[in-house]
Amino acid sequence: MAAAPSRPFDFLEGLPGTVFYKLYQQPSTALAIFRRMLPDLAKCFVMALLYLKEPLPATDLEDWVRSESLRERDNALSILGRLHILSNTTTSNNVRAYMVTNPFAASLRQALMGTEQTQSFGVLSQLGDETAVTIPNLDEYAGRQWEGVLGYMVGTSGLGIQRDVNLSKGVKQLLQAGHLVEIRDRRVEITKDGFAFVLQDVGTQVWHILILYVESAEHIGMDSVEVLSFIFLLSSLELGKSYQKKDLTSTQIRTLTDLTDFGIVYQENPEATRFYPTRLATTLTSDSSALSNSISGSLMGTDTSTEAGSGFIIVETNYRIYAYTSSPLQISLIALFSTLKYRFPNLITGKITRQSIRRAVEMGITADQIISYISTHAHPQMRKHNIAKTTNPQAGVPPSVLPPTVVDQIRLWQLERDRVKATAGFLFKDFVSFAEYEAPCRYAEDIGVLTWKSDRKRMFFVTRHEQVAAFLRSRK
Amino acid sequence: MPRAVRGVLIECDPSVKAIILKYDEERHDYIVEDLDDDRHLVIKESQLQNLKIRLGKDLDDKLMQPDESESE
Repeated sequence: MAAAPSRPFDFLEGLPGTVFYKLYQQPSTALAIFRRMLPDLAKCFVMALLYLKEPLPATDLEDWVRSESLRERDNALSILGRLHILSNTTTSNNVRAYMVTNPFAASLRQALMGTEQTQSFGVLSQLGDETAVTIPNLDEYAGRQWEGVLGYMVGTSGLGIQRDVNLSKGVKQLLQAGHLVEIRDRRVEITKDGFAFVLQDVGTQVWHILILYVESAEHIGMDSVEVLSFIFLLSSLELGKSYQKKDLTSTQIRTLTDLTDFGIVYQENPEATRFYPTRLATTLTSDSSALSNSISGSLMGTDTSTEAGSGFIIVETNYRIYAYTSSPLQISLIALFSTLKYRFPNLITGKITRQSIRRAVEMGITADQIISYISTHAHPQMRKHNIAKTTNPQAGVPPSVLPPTVVDQIRLWQLERDRVKATAGFLFKDFVSFAEYEAPCRYAEDIGVLTWKSDRKRMFFVTRHEQVAAFLRSRK
Repeated sequence: MPRAVRGVLIECDPSVKAIILKYDEERHDYIVEDLDDDRHLVIKESQLQNLKIRLGKDLDDKLMQPDESESE
């Protein structure tokens, strides 16, 4: 299944039904949601039901799925329900049935068959191609802007290298509003959420930013539904083509200008008559993972068009880390959790130490974030080495790109920081008899608030006391 | 007559629990209830932050660490 990124999905799920009704008016939105947000089984259901005139009896649909895959079926149905795509109805003779809801069905049919003349998928610019911007240029632009945003967050200027990426005030405000950075004493400081953010892959980051943008749209006087559906429109455009701006509404123009700052779209200047989507936009709702690789590749500052998808970090079993990069952003990210030693034109070396991990953990970075960052960017040699090892039939353990000793040690170092596990709550004590103790204790366990109990001392600890107290009173 | 007391349940190693008990001996200002097994106790909510900082510092001082030299 398309590993639906949880964040956009959670965000959509939280929207009220009326918003879905408005969103699904646009064929591009319906198609984007269909392509990106649905597991394969759900896509099958939608396609099977799309052209039916009558609702399909629920038992018929349920028969399509083998009994051992009930969980997948229920999951698919539940997702479709939560996205307001499938509705429960009854057929004419009162049998429970499913059908695809209407604005969605009509829009998806339009998207598939192209029978409409609206501008839902953008209008190609008719201008001559002499001045057209090439795909490598777009990638470079997107990479530079996005790196600028991340660099602003982690403060690459501290390394003495300042790229001239102009971040608009809007971008900075958005990062602040999303609690990714804080301004203290006019200095930018990254927050816990910000750390989690910079270590994610680019696709997740872009969605995160876009959702922040949609959420803040209302505050600056824009219709959030319109912004959201415009984002879905952008995601269905074609890379390397330019599109007309004259059919866009004023809200859409404004969104376009703001997204230009992030490198999600490109236009020569705000007054230009056409715009280009960059790879950041066009892969938003596709399964293509080329995005993260080629962009992060371009963030490395090396030529990636020939070598897309290569990582650059090597970690040895003795905790030494080598990163083939000259990007100030990547260097400052690696410096977050390691002690850097040498810097060469295309290589930095350092060591992962107990102190460096503890420093990172104290800043709010988790061991898992560090490990996933290193393995996402692991050098091809490390992957190759690992594959050679795992073809060994004895290897029953799931393959790990990184040396297991290093992964374990990073986790252990984190645990060292958390020597105690604290749970706030209430201790119930002084029960006269075991019988008096046992009933509320079992009740607390049943309602899921019990964290600890001792039969011998007749005490138990709960996270919430109201219900247990009420229970005790009711038994008086 | 059963009672409910507000507090924070702490789960930790026996060694850490011993340290917390020692802190409490000074002024009896940490522990609400010693739960008599060697991994749990309930402390005052207001002292949690304080305790964490103090533990972190003391453990750093006391624990033996392998050589931390940064030499390559």
